[in-house]
Amino acid sequence: MFVLNPQSGIPIYRQILDQVRRMVASGQLAPGAELPSVRDLAVKHAVNPMTVSKAYSLLEAEGLLERNRGRPMTVASQARNASPLNKRLQQIQPLVEHTVLAAKQLELSEAELVKAVRKNWENGND
Amino acid sequence: MIEATVQANHLSKAFGTKRVIDDLSFEVSPGDVIGVLGKNGAGKTTLLELMLGFTPPTDGGVQVFGHPSVALPGNVKVRVGFVPQQDELLDQLNVAEQLRVIASFYPHWDVDLIARLCSQWGVDPKARIKNLSVGERQKLSILLAFGHKPDLLVLDEPVASLDPLARRQFLEQLVEVSTDGDRAIIFSSHIVSDIERLANRIWILKDGRLNWQGDLDSLKEAIVRLHIRGDAAGIAGMAVPGALSLRREAGFATAVVRDWTRERQRALEDQNAVSVEVEALGLEEIFLELHR
Repeated sequence: MFVLNPQSGIPIYRQILDQVRRMVASGQLAPGAELPSVRDLAVKHAVNPMTVSKAYSLLEAEGLLERNRGRPMTVASQARNASPLNKRLQQIQPLVEHTVLAAKQLELSEAELVKAVRKNWENGND
Repeated sequence: MIEATVQANHLSKAFGTKRVIDDLSFEVSPGDVIGVLGKNGAGKTTLLELMLGFTPPTDGGVQVFGHPSVALPGNVKVRVGFVPQQDELLDQLNVAEQLRVIASFYPHWDVDLIARLCSQWGVDPKARIKNLSVGERQKLSILLAFGHKPDLLVLDEPVASLDPLARRQFLEQLVEVSTDGDRAIIFSSHIVSDIERLANRIWILKDGRLNWQGDLDSLKEAIVRLHIRGDAAGIAGMAVPGALSLRREAGFATAVVRDWTRERQRALEDQNAVSVEVEALGLEEIFLELHR
């Protein structure tokens, strides 16, 4: 469910935060959906369990996740499926900026970048 | 209050006139997984040996579960597990016999766990130790330190001879050990990617001192590479606070900084009329930057 890259400069807990936020925002994770347990996620990716539980706790504080006694954490009921379009756009904005900057450095035209994005969009399975 | 697993105060060790460990103070709490990084000769093994009481400090001291490491009572020693860099296996025994010898020292030895790990890791209990490969010897040393489920597990370069598959199995087992949050693990390794997965805290040893001690997450958030663009005068004149390295070209500069924050970024941009792009760095690059 998560794509974690420990070697990235982005701390693992932030990778989990970003991915859960995006999946909740898009409605891919619906209210009530269960998340993998801290232990399962940590063992599966061979990462520190405290890092996973730090991410979950921050998401709980944000109101995105709910802790349940003796059961896995779930997406909070008031997390409402898809959040408004402008909010979702706001979340992807830094990645867009980064991509546009890189494209300009490579002297790609807008059309060429859009074409590359479209190609990825159509091939992507996630 | 939670009992500190390890507590060091102004810990120093000198061999002759050379200070190998120089005035270190730190604390290890239950649940910590600490990755120790340092160049060869930075003092990693000496530091681990001081904590285990194998060698007395020259100055200062280190306590393990509240007792000076050089005088650990028996009931504290059984709470500690150690995987040394050079194994201490007995060549004349077979694997099962070696396991029994070590198990006999510990009242809480987990026979089932070790039997399960032996089969998962492909360690044959009937094999003679003198016939084991380097990797198999390392696996067995790790098993010997796991069997009594220590509250403090210290590992000195535990995976140097393991293939990637065996390393992954070992890492998964360390995660299992650390999930209950009551144990502390301290491990040194040159395999930075393993430390990056497993450690929540990092110690970077340089010339016997802790160049960095703290959260891995904070380390990655604090040390970043900046790509700075602006006009030639702005680039030439700007001062970059906390720079570990700085390279200026016409209209462009690259810097690696420590203690980075958004506020500092804004200040740098406003004061010099430049734009800054932040690149996050992996642990290996951070380590290299701290050793420039």
